[in-house]
Amino acid sequence: MVSESETEGGILRFLATIDIRIVYFLLFVVVVGPLLYPIGMPISVSPDTVEFHDVIAEMGPDDIVLLHLGTEFSGWNELSAGSTASMRMLIEQGAKVAIISAHPEAISISPLLYNSLSDVMDANDYKYMEDTIDLGYMHPNEAAVASTASDFHGTVRTDYLGASIEGTFLDDINTAEDWSLIIDIQTGVQSAAMLNHYRVSYGAPIAKHCIGVSVPGAKADLDAELLVGVLPSLRGGAELETLIGAKGPGVAAMDAFSIAHYMLLIFVVLGNIGYFGYQRSASRRTTVGR
Amino acid sequence: MSMFFKRKDIQLTIVVLTFLVVFIPYFFNIPALDAFSKKLITIASLVNGFTLALAIHSQFRRASNQWRRKSRGYYWGAYMLICLIMMILFGIIGQESAPWHWVMFAVINPLSSVNYCILAFYLSGSAARAFRARSIQAFMLLAAGSIVLLYQAPLTGAVFPVIDPIALYLTNTFAVSVSRTIYLGLATASIVLGVRMLTGREVSFLGFAREE
Amino acid sequence: MIEFMELSIAVFGAFIAMCMFSTLYGKSNPLYVFAEESYVGFATGLVVIMAIMYIYRAGIQGILAGDWILSVGIILGLMTLTRLSREYAYISRLPIGISVAVQLALSMRTIIFSRFIRHINATVMNLFPADSQLMLYRWTIFLSLIPMLTFFFYTTEMKGPLSWSAKAGEYILYLSLGVVFAQTYMGRLGMFVGFMQSLTLPPWKIPILISTMIIVLAAVVILDKANLADRWIPG
Repeated sequence: MVSESETEGGILRFLATIDIRIVYFLLFVVVVGPLLYPIGMPISVSPDTVEFHDVIAEMGPDDIVLLHLGTEFSGWNELSAGSTASMRMLIEQGAKVAIISAHPEAISISPLLYNSLSDVMDANDYKYMEDTIDLGYMHPNEAAVASTASDFHGTVRTDYLGASIEGTFLDDINTAEDWSLIIDIQTGVQSAAMLNHYRVSYGAPIAKHCIGVSVPGAKADLDAELLVGVLPSLRGGAELETLIGAKGPGVAAMDAFSIAHYMLLIFVVLGNIGYFGYQRSASRRTTVGR
Repeated sequence: MSMFFKRKDIQLTIVVLTFLVVFIPYFFNIPALDAFSKKLITIASLVNGFTLALAIHSQFRRASNQWRRKSRGYYWGAYMLICLIMMILFGIIGQESAPWHWVMFAVINPLSSVNYCILAFYLSGSAARAFRARSIQAFMLLAAGSIVLLYQAPLTGAVFPVIDPIALYLTNTFAVSVSRTIYLGLATASIVLGVRMLTGREVSFLGFAREE
Repeated sequence: MIEFMELSIAVFGAFIAMCMFSTLYGKSNPLYVFAEESYVGFATGLVVIMAIMYIYRAGIQGILAGDWILSVGIILGLMTLTRLSREYAYISRLPIGISVAVQLALSMRTIIFSRFIRHINATVMNLFPADSQLMLYRWTIFLSLIPMLTFFFYTTEMKGPLSWSAKAGEYILYLSLGVVFAQTYMGRLGMFVGFMQSLTLPPWKIPILISTMIIVLAAVVILDKANLADRWIPG
């Protein structure tokens, strides 16, 4: 026979002790649903994104920018919108771009970046080896980062496929201070090393596009003038796309992004209703019963 | 000759001298030392690359232990080694080759993505099951988190912009403070550890503690 | 016309990703183990190849270009491998010691600036900027940082003003952790949304995603109900 304590509570008990798999299933649904059936919710642009945009907007044909991929492929899912929008701006402004990877998985990112912007590159007559070079995996550890910062040509001689970089725009780079801007795409791979050896040692300006986990630290660095701009997470990427008028996958993801946030809030509220309505009174009844 | 490697004082002296060769030119302009320091940094980056060979060894050892013990599911270790060897072969064939490209985009990239994004589920689950306003501190955590969560949803800023200044205040002040606290603490700890290593109080990285 | 390579990548990628997601069911199963061991094996192989490439590009190419001193790096690196031998492991002390010493020097010479001076400067200097909002932010950071630091003092007894400061720091810490949690969730959610986007764009991938989800879920449930899940996982 089922005891009274096991049947009472009803909906409140359900909310307090919800099966975690229901939460997982609903998260899947609220993310995949809007991706399949976009709603087109409006988005606002934050001051951080405007500041990041303004830093990149200053780059021109005489500038050489380092795009540092300090991310695994998982981080690319979150950072691709902002990285692609940043690269688009640099191509359209004619700035030269070199790419360095700091994680083995990041070597598969640069081909995706070039492919997604192939139309923009063709439209602006932007060519590989003349305007952009992929240097591959050259930052495996902090010593390598310090090495490229202090003696670039002593460490880097070819692109990722082995073609010599002699005679290209990289001839003008000797140390970290020769870079006009560094856009650091970060999940935390060699992040501190870039700050230490590029910014602190040589004063190179670094603008960081980072995942949500790293945003508090990045804002602290921005406040300490270790960074010149911070673009936070997928939302920042979507905002940058909106700002430059090139809406892409970032903006398309914002429906799912918004709904998933609201879903979490609803679960927190419902869980607390269940807690105060059932669990707390149940524990009081148990205490009194003794 | 072996005494050169086995004596703690000699090895520690080398560590300290190497440290000074890289540390001093940063603060004092000594061109010859600076040039040597830069080469030493590149040499150290090459040495670090070789340590990854130890990773292969540990994977082989793990798999062979499983095979020897014939514990349940021991064949998975062999499967893992086959994958490892295949990837090395594909890499030798070339990074532009079809097999390399296939493995990168069909296996490594999706699994790397799932590895980290699965945390979104665990965070959701913990928020639904464990985030309870049991005390004032917990309530403050929930309140701050809820405001920032609302702000982060782009739709909120577009339809309810009142929340923006409050959320921006929280993210640009308290989150910055806690990050700064952590940075200061970590910097102190790493400097203390560095000094302990250089003064010979922490020599386990050289393998001496184990022998003693 | 979809190329076979692209199609096979989409199909197998979606399948193996769902296998990895199957851990959310709550019980370990062979599909999850298959995904896990695949990732460990292929990722380790990737790291090894990348390390070899780096040694070639930064070391061997440099030596061939006339920078002979880099051969010391290759020799020291090979000496590191003696760590695998019980008899000759002591030889690896030299390269490990040099490597650790260089890393220590690189870290310590800049961390004083990047993690101490700059952050302390930013906290205590310029507390009266022209912008009132910025002034409010700076004062809040200044007034919240010190209580939080005192909260983490474990080597002295908290008495008097120190205990009040630590108590205030505790409350500020909980407030900050709420913000950090929200930003962490944003980060992980962004990864998940971005990944799901890659599985649904272009639209021909959608049926592949849905069918692999159903197949993997069905397989996991059947294995669980038939008590076969535990039989084929490492113990």
